[in-house]
Amino acid sequence: MDHPQTPRILAPHLSSFQHKHVRILGKVLQLRGETAVLDAGGNVDMVLNRDCHLAVGHAVEVIGKVDGNLQLRVQAATDLGTSIDYAAANAVVEATHRHKEIFYD
Amino acid sequence: MADASQNSPSGGRRDQQDSLRPVTIKQILDAQPDGDEFRIDNSKISQLTFIGQIRNIASQALNITYKLDDGTGSIEVKQWNDMDATEANPLRARLVEGAYCRAWGKLKSFNDRKHVNVQIIRPIDDNNEVSYHMLEATAVHLYHTRGPIGANTGASQGAVNNAGHQQTSGAAYGTQKLAGYTPMAQRVYQYLSNEPQSNEGLHQQDIAAKLGIDVADVAAAGDNLLEGGLIYTTVDDQTWAILEAD
Repeated sequence: MDHPQTPRILAPHLSSFQHKHVRILGKVLQLRGETAVLDAGGNVDMVLNRDCHLAVGHAVEVIGKVDGNLQLRVQAATDLGTSIDYAAANAVVEATHRHKEIFYD
Repeated sequence: MADASQNSPSGGRRDQQDSLRPVTIKQILDAQPDGDEFRIDNSKISQLTFIGQIRNIASQALNITYKLDDGTGSIEVKQWNDMDATEANPLRARLVEGAYCRAWGKLKSFNDRKHVNVQIIRPIDDNNEVSYHMLEATAVHLYHTRGPIGANTGASQGAVNNAGHQQTSGAAYGTQKLAGYTPMAQRVYQYLSNEPQSNEGLHQQDIAAKLGIDVADVAAAGDNLLEGGLIYTTVDDQTWAILEAD
């Protein structure tokens, strides 16, 4: 399949998903040109691509690959604005891992 | 129906056919074929609703095919062109690659390849809908695999006696509301609140016998409660049940 599964995770799960494709929803804390820091249950360092259009304070959902240094190499980012309920989004991550059978192989 | 365990006996086939189930795309891809239909969690499915990000759009003569990806998998959805439509669907302009959308439709299989024929596909305005949908799909999955919430948690007395839970709340409600009623009416109300019963409630003869009071007195008490709207008549004028105010 041309679009692989992208499990939803938070910062504490990064080490379990090294070298895998993941999906992380968080709030943009810092933008530093080529890199950025995301708050998703903890800080996530991201290496951006040219197509990312991030705004500090906005929620963003990024799809990328976790590298050996636990940085997220971003492949696609979707700005989700400023009205995201992070508690609900984090509950989704929890639900997807607890009831994995309907979410991921 | 073989899947009666999933339904109330009176539910039957129609309910199944008319159901609308929130699902993840992985659940659609995992759906088991059953004749012309499909099953998810061993329940027949009909209409499905799901969300996804648009990964590809292919506009063809008779339909538009979108590829949707929700992180759990991806699937093609086809929206057939409405030949009678006089103007273009204004939502279509916002269905662009990368956008999240919600779709409603039916699962089809063609040469072992699944796709969904959608009646409606619309962009998502409030991004929390994505979280909502994932949680709703989980809740419905758990309903089908583990049964209704509260059935085995012990949190609700309803598991033992379906009417029990309502009656308890009815009694608590009654203590405040019974002030203006005759002592006999209060006794009858309390008895109706606490006595196990079916949805039909209790007959005034039974109430009179159990409380050891005259049927005429019970009838008067019943009239009193009926006027106040605390109870209602069920199968006949002499059979009453507590009117739940909620």
